[in-house]
Amino acid sequence: MGLNKSRPIYQKLQLDPQGRAHLIVTDLDALPEDVIEADLALSNIESWVVARAAPGIAASPPGSRAFRSVADLLSHLAHHLAREPVGLRLYAAGTEAFLWDVANIARAAGLSQDEVFLTQAGSLRRRVYCTHCKSINEDVTTNIATCRACGAHLFVRDHFSRRLAAFMGVMVDAEMPGEIPAIEVIYP
Amino acid sequence: MKARIENIEPLSATIKRFTLAPEAAKLFPAGAAGAFILLEIPGPSRVWKNAYSLISGGRRETYEIIVRRVAHSRGGSAWLHDHAAPGQLLEISEPANLFPIARAAQNHLLLSAGIGITPFLSYLPVLQAHNLGFELHHCCKQDEQEIFRPLLPNLPNVTLHGSRNSLDLTALLSAQKLNTHLYVCGPEAFMDGVIAAAKKIGWPDAKIHEESFGGATGGAPFRVNLARSGVALEVASDQTLLEALESAGLQPPRMCRGGACGVCELPVLEGVPDHHDHFLTAAARAAGKSIMTCVSRAKTPELVLDF
Repeated sequence: MGLNKSRPIYQKLQLDPQGRAHLIVTDLDALPEDVIEADLALSNIESWVVARAAPGIAASPPGSRAFRSVADLLSHLAHHLAREPVGLRLYAAGTEAFLWDVANIARAAGLSQDEVFLTQAGSLRRRVYCTHCKSINEDVTTNIATCRACGAHLFVRDHFSRRLAAFMGVMVDAEMPGEIPAIEVIYP
Repeated sequence: MKARIENIEPLSATIKRFTLAPEAAKLFPAGAAGAFILLEIPGPSRVWKNAYSLISGGRRETYEIIVRRVAHSRGGSAWLHDHAAPGQLLEISEPANLFPIARAAQNHLLLSAGIGITPFLSYLPVLQAHNLGFELHHCCKQDEQEIFRPLLPNLPNVTLHGSRNSLDLTALLSAQKLNTHLYVCGPEAFMDGVIAAAKKIGWPDAKIHEESFGGATGGAPFRVNLARSGVALEVASDQTLLEALESAGLQPPRMCRGGACGVCELPVLEGVPDHHDHFLTAAARAAGKSIMTCVSRAKTPELVLDF
């Protein structure tokens, strides 16, 4: 059986006791407790969530900060990492596209792999990269997606790019135009 | 390969700079910043192989190294100080590098003490040429400041400390941003102090780079039994375990001879190793199941190795 080396394998998040400050970010509206083993003995823990529906900034519990959108959270993250001193550990929980957007921001800010921890939570929906027109298609839940830029019918492969934080989409009817297999929701 | 001693310049009573030139009109292979060479030093009864950082950077016409006469020298540095003379031919290795500049880093914090400045002397021109952010703190004894000052560029981000006390390690290490990598080179106690302080503040291992060639100082003699080779040896007090294996005609794995590269690791079947390397993790040291033969010795009268 072929091993898919491009798919990252995620573990439950465990806070690293070597860190002196911990920032947990998620694209959900609350921390997904089922994938985080919080060590209550650790201090200096902050969490960032996305509260989409909230009118204005929702009241957040202490140590928690709510952002209006994922884009808002990510842009604050880049600024935050540029100012923080060494010792911070960054944790991300959410969709795969979000995880690798966070990882890429962290890497650009100079964090090493020892300082960033990722775990998948919530929806399995995929960001899909059209290998024909190089466009990004967000929030794909089906096995076959229509590219929003060039209209190609894309088979959503398991081939994942960490740099693009996206799965590769390849034309499904290149051989027989119009012959498209049944479309199903397989990444709810 | 052969190298001719071209020049010997005393920097102090115990520190000399050696310039080596290739035999005939050839060029040496280029060494990158942080590279070292092994020098074969002919003693009266044996040959020592010592590692020295190249301070001449990528220059191929000559290599330059700085040698401190070690107080309890097993012979190598003493021979270089007392008997080496211009014109002599020495056998040297090609450069190897266990301490390269981490080019993914955006900022570099260099901490050295004493003769540990040598690899950074090859870093400085590279960091400056590529306009990389860096800060160097060099610690030395009060009365050695005038030896090291001329070796260092006169820059605001290069600081010479006449004692370790004038460097507030915790404050310096805590103030670093997430894009900084740390490099440490110097005597064992200095390196251990810096690394312990860094880890306490939360520095991840991936951003701490260390090099030390100071481990092979000799010690009490011990016996070694090689289970697979069926050979029993005595390791003399002025000899390393690796040298004892080599003098018995064996070909154990080895490279840096300074406890840094990890190549010479051998499994320990019986006995308790006395670790002096910078390669094994704390857990591996405590387990005592393997030994770096180039610098480590024995806490028990005998070691049995799987070799």
